[in-house]
Amino acid sequence: MERFFQYVFDGLSFGAIYALLALGLVVVFRGTGHLNFAQGEMAMICTFVVWQFHDWGVPLVLAVVLGMVVGFALGAGVEATLIRGVAKKSQAGVFVVSIALFLGLNSLAAMVWGNLPPEQLPSLFPDEPVDFQRIFGAVWRYEYIGVLVVALVLMGLLFLLFAKTKFGLAMRAVASNPESAKLAGIPTSLVLASSWGIASAMGALSGSLWGGIVGELGAGLMFTVFIYASAAATLGGFDSPGGAVIAGLSIGVGEQLLAGYFPGWIGQEMKLSVALITIFVVLLFKPSGLFGSAKVERV
Amino acid sequence: MWKIREGSAQHWLLRSIGIAIIAVVVVWVPTQMSSSRIGQFSDAFILMIAAMSLNLVLGFTGQISIGHSAFFGIGGYTAAILIKDHGWSPGYTFYAAAVVAFVVGCLVALPALRIRGVYLALVTLAVAVLFPTLVKWKKLAWLTEGAMGIDSVRYEEVPVWPILGELKGREGRAVFMFWLALIVVVVTYLVCRGIVKSRFGRALVAIRDNETAAAVMGVNLTTTKVLVFGVSAALCALAGVLSTLKSGVVTPEGQYVTLLGSIVFLLVMVVGGAGTLWGPIVGGLVYVWLDNTTRDIGTDSGGILGAIFGWADQSPATLILGVALVLIMFLAPYGLVGLFRKLWRKVVVVLPKPAGSGSSSPS
Repeated sequence: MERFFQYVFDGLSFGAIYALLALGLVVVFRGTGHLNFAQGEMAMICTFVVWQFHDWGVPLVLAVVLGMVVGFALGAGVEATLIRGVAKKSQAGVFVVSIALFLGLNSLAAMVWGNLPPEQLPSLFPDEPVDFQRIFGAVWRYEYIGVLVVALVLMGLLFLLFAKTKFGLAMRAVASNPESAKLAGIPTSLVLASSWGIASAMGALSGSLWGGIVGELGAGLMFTVFIYASAAATLGGFDSPGGAVIAGLSIGVGEQLLAGYFPGWIGQEMKLSVALITIFVVLLFKPSGLFGSAKVERV
Repeated sequence: MWKIREGSAQHWLLRSIGIAIIAVVVVWVPTQMSSSRIGQFSDAFILMIAAMSLNLVLGFTGQISIGHSAFFGIGGYTAAILIKDHGWSPGYTFYAAAVVAFVVGCLVALPALRIRGVYLALVTLAVAVLFPTLVKWKKLAWLTEGAMGIDSVRYEEVPVWPILGELKGREGRAVFMFWLALIVVVVTYLVCRGIVKSRFGRALVAIRDNETAAAVMGVNLTTTKVLVFGVSAALCALAGVLSTLKSGVVTPEGQYVTLLGSIVFLLVMVVGGAGTLWGPIVGGLVYVWLDNTTRDIGTDSGGILGAIFGWADQSPATLILGVALVLIMFLAPYGLVGLFRKLWRKVVVVLPKPAGSGSSSPS
């Protein structure tokens, strides 16, 4: 039983990070209908920015907030300059541009920060070996609890933003019908740019949390997280933020349980594959994901 | 501006000049250049084949795939396993690899029937990430030899082709691989051309431009999509076989076997010109040239990208490629071939045959 709770606790904390990045994917998709392949790399760059601020002596919490601000600017800037122009011409073009961003940002990070010795990003939370709490006999580290809490609080704020504010209403309006939204006087382009910005800022947070757990930063920091996040977004349904969160958490818990209980067959190296195969099967039977709304098209 | 009619003498003259130039280059490279340069051309050929196969799915049918690195890997591994464990002659593995990849490609396309756009991209992303992990899986090590990969898969001796004369040593092998890759490029080109110009090809373009309209016009979406994915996977596997035969090894982190391979294929296709027959060919040459010229810039800037993808060296090369890709998307959405056509049209206009006068089949 201890083992079980251990896997669940670990899984929830990892899952929260996947869910944060997955939410970013969902926000972008709902806003503009694109898959941002560079979401993970944008988060990675922002994490390096956080590290840089911290290295210059800014307190870590402030550095993370600054990193999120930079992330917002990066996301909004990318949407306004690169994505919008191509989106008018073709959907596949947006995908190609996001792949170009993926390559470019990755290379850029390695060029700017690659030569330094591996950077240590300190954790936002106490992470000494003694900082843990025993619950049902399982170890729950303060760091992991902190990650889970921060992620959940941010998700809560995001839901409030979507559901209760005028800006959230505008975002939903633009998502459901850009033309009418524009006619109703909503500054569509501003809303689109800020939805990319919000997504990228959330990526910055998830990167910082993940970087704190991993310890060492590298250009490949967010790649696996991005794969998990896209798995979560697919499983939950690309237009459902709640689905992304639930799917992210359950993928986190599921992979820990499977890898823990079947070390011979699955283990650490195959747990990603299990997540991917699950998606494949889910998409075969429910193409819009578990919580997504099936798209009805007017012909 | 010079107006000529399709199929007229002038048109054939222009075509012949084009073919002659290509023929001269093709003969000049393996006979006059150094063997490392010949090897670079073989690399370009391998990329051309992979990009042509991707072009069928993405450029002509409009189905996003970033899973082609897996088909490439399937080709490479099929060849390696058949040669190493079953003693096949390398030449026959091309057929076997194509068949295996065709079946896998059709299976991957199954979810593609119900999903589109983003979701399809993600399924293929899953395939691309899955393949190297599966190959490394210790339960499959009896077949794939795990993370070490399979090595020394080569022609024991370079086969003797009378037309090439006797080929010996490293240079001989490079020249032989050049011609072998060239043959596969030509075959792939002809297959793609045959498909695109056929009724089936029109169906593909119809699906790309408007899926609903295509279905209404009587295009069987299911069969068409599954078949084109299968054929594309089979062609991509040929590139994988060539790559294995050329380098003699295939590993899970090997060149073009990981997700980065799919990205490179996409890049080659887009830079050359998506949805054009010559695009991938031009793209392959440009990519290899860019890669080789930019790779040496600042090679001592750490190996982070190499750490992720296992094979690339870190240099601004990737950044340059990314920027080039964005520029192409903005300035020449149909790639270099599209750009060339646009400029060429200012010089020569080929008028189509008047309707009903040609010998085109009355389909």
